[in-house]
Amino acid sequence: MKSLTLMQDDSNLISRIKAQDERALSLLYDKYAPAIYGVIKRMCKDDNAAENILQDTFMTIWEKIDSYNPEKGRFYTWAYRIAKNKVLNFLRKPNKLIQTDDLSVYASRTTEQTTMEDFAQLKGSINTLEAHHKRAIELVYFLGLTHNEAHKEMDVPLGTFKSYIRQALKRLKDSYSAALILMLILIEVLR
Amino acid sequence: MDKKNIRETGILEQYILGELDATQQREVEHLLENDADLAKYVSELEKSFESLAFENAIDPPNHIKDSLLTQITAKEDNVVPITKRRINKWYVGIAASFAAFLLVSTYLLYSELQEVKSELEVVNTEKESIKEDLNGLTQNYNTITKWYAAITDPEAEQFVLKGNQLAPEAKIVSYVNHNNKTVVINAQNLPELDALHDYQMWADVEGEMINMGVIAKGEQMLAMTYIDNAESLNITIEPAGGNDHPTVERLISNVYL
Repeated sequence: MKSLTLMQDDSNLISRIKAQDERALSLLYDKYAPAIYGVIKRMCKDDNAAENILQDTFMTIWEKIDSYNPEKGRFYTWAYRIAKNKVLNFLRKPNKLIQTDDLSVYASRTTEQTTMEDFAQLKGSINTLEAHHKRAIELVYFLGLTHNEAHKEMDVPLGTFKSYIRQALKRLKDSYSAALILMLILIEVLR
Repeated sequence: MDKKNIRETGILEQYILGELDATQQREVEHLLENDADLAKYVSELEKSFESLAFENAIDPPNHIKDSLLTQITAKEDNVVPITKRRINKWYVGIAASFAAFLLVSTYLLYSELQEVKSELEVVNTEKESIKEDLNGLTQNYNTITKWYAAITDPEAEQFVLKGNQLAPEAKIVSYVNHNNKTVVINAQNLPELDALHDYQMWADVEGEMINMGVIAKGEQMLAMTYIDNAESLNITIEPAGGNDHPTVERLISNVYL
């Protein structure tokens, strides 16, 4: 029910952005920027760069909104991919190459680089997962590694890694569904 | 690839995470378009990832939104409407040059108008003075014509009154016309008198002196009163303005007709 309302809100906002309504972009920013910034900041580990990339991401959203098709997926997923690409491009920049000495983004990353800093400690349902499931999600989702990079990082076969991800997502889904049901019950009670 | 299989390949997660190349991505999209169940499954995965992100959201500094909106406004100002602006500027340029042209030509026309006006004024003044001159000339001409007609009339008899010992240099020529009963004199050679005295002309009719009029000072030709049956013409010096009776002692000239 709530998500339906949210989706309707989104499609309204998105069509307004397509009509160059800056106010709608402002509202969309308020709704999604913190979630996207959480990903960007954890992924690039550079406050200044993270801020620039967030702004750049929303600039791209503004400019390329016509290429977003709601039938092909959720808005957030589309925005996440844009942000992630920008972070990876930033990490591939020449000055970053001097540090990594490699053209691939994460091949030469040290364990330290793929470790979460204090600010980046993950919150919420992910902490209810088993450690290896949490780590798998952390690597591909918040640190931007590909499956290929991540299974090496975790030192498990690719197939095993894929099942970690699948199981982790199933647990999360159950957890969110429970939370949603709890919330709906709570709303009913409060009414 | 059956549904179960697809779910276990991990390709759907990779699709959501943007790890696929363009070809693989199109393949997955094609599958989702034709399989509502699979699309629903992917949508659930998306929601989970999304919830994960919302749980781990970090508030960005406020200035980012400000500079984003500023950037958008600046872009709109600089990029999208720039053609409009250029067109506007183009029109404004045309309008401005047109206005400038109008201003300059108006000024030129105005000053030319002022010049023409002042010239016209001069011409008018000249015309007035010429008109006056002409009037004067016409008057003179009329007068002269009149005198000329009077003295050249075949009927006009000419009599010369020469001054006696009182005014030896005086000489008055009179033209008496009995036909139209006029007397015209030429007083050019009368000696000037002081302001207290005037010359006066008299006609002698059977021993009585009848006033023919005072000879006005400064006039060259004068018309005097014609007196019927005059036997002689006489000029005396009288107090200014003339006298009722001639002062015989001061008679300066006379002529018999």
